[in-house]
Amino acid sequence: MKCYVCAKEGVDSDAVAACVVCGMGTCMKHTIRKEIDVWEGGYPFPSKKLPKRMPRMLCPDCSSAFTEAK
Amino acid sequence: MASLSARCVAEGVGTLLLVYFGAGAAAITLMIAKGSAPPNSFNIGIGTLGGLGDWFAIGMAFAIIIAAVIYSLGRVSGAHINPAVTIALWATKRFPANEMVAYVFAQLIGAALGSTLFVLSAGMNAVTIGGLGATAPFPGIGYGQAILVEAIGTFVLMLVIMGVAVDNRAPPGFAGLIIGLAVGGIITTIGNISGSSLNTARTFGPYLIDTILGGPNLWIYFPVYIIGPIAGAVIAAFFYDKVCSA
Repeated sequence: MKCYVCAKEGVDSDAVAACVVCGMGTCMKHTIRKEIDVWEGGYPFPSKKLPKRMPRMLCPDCSSAFTEAK
Repeated sequence: MASLSARCVAEGVGTLLLVYFGAGAAAITLMIAKGSAPPNSFNIGIGTLGGLGDWFAIGMAFAIIIAAVIYSLGRVSGAHINPAVTIALWATKRFPANEMVAYVFAQLIGAALGSTLFVLSAGMNAVTIGGLGATAPFPGIGYGQAILVEAIGTFVLMLVIMGVAVDNRAPPGFAGLIIGLAVGGIITTIGNISGSSLNTARTFGPYLIDTILGGPNLWIYFPVYIIGPIAGAVIAAFFYDKVCSA
């Protein structure tokens, strides 16, 4: 799979990840890694935040949408 | 996880809301029915207006506030809002002893604050006429019968909690809705027998504030709402572990 963002710029590069939201293939340069908190439990027990965070691979467009939404 | 003090505050607020809206609905029903003649001695006012529909309305007030508290505070403290539930989880080694004691105190304090807020909202008629929605066995119902009925009602409540929330196989997202509706259904049926407390804190709050403000003194019935709910919840938790978890 090729990087979609590079392809739009006329550059040919191999994808190293697929965006978890839109599925776009992205190269190392265009892949954005976000760390998401993971919670365990819930009613009738208090939720606990797990020590490790979950990595999410996003393309630049989805990452900016995710950041703006916050 | 939130600190124990934060979780106790959440438990207190949750129980406050339960007593304000749930027990408050019972008090309001009595206030609305004041002056109308009950058709028989088994009817003390709740039921005069719409028969079993009065109890259904009270049950729905409980159902909706329980669902709201579970969905809003469940992730923080677990939203037990009921000493019987906390003690049953502790008895089956799912909840630490020191936190169980803190939760029960928080629930009792929250219940008392809920009744206090209800008086401040509705006035002294809520005490003198509505009794703040305090529970007591109905005419013709003996002490032992009331304990049995409370135990059966809380058994069903705890069984539902085990099935829809504690069990890892339960579908996610339904706990608050189903538990709230279960309580509503239980109250509709057994409300006119034992008062349908299912919850020691829910009875403690109205009893305490009624006593302080000169309302009815019902403390003689308090053991009914300690023994029945705790026995029913603990039996249900062990029953689920032995029979339903295989």
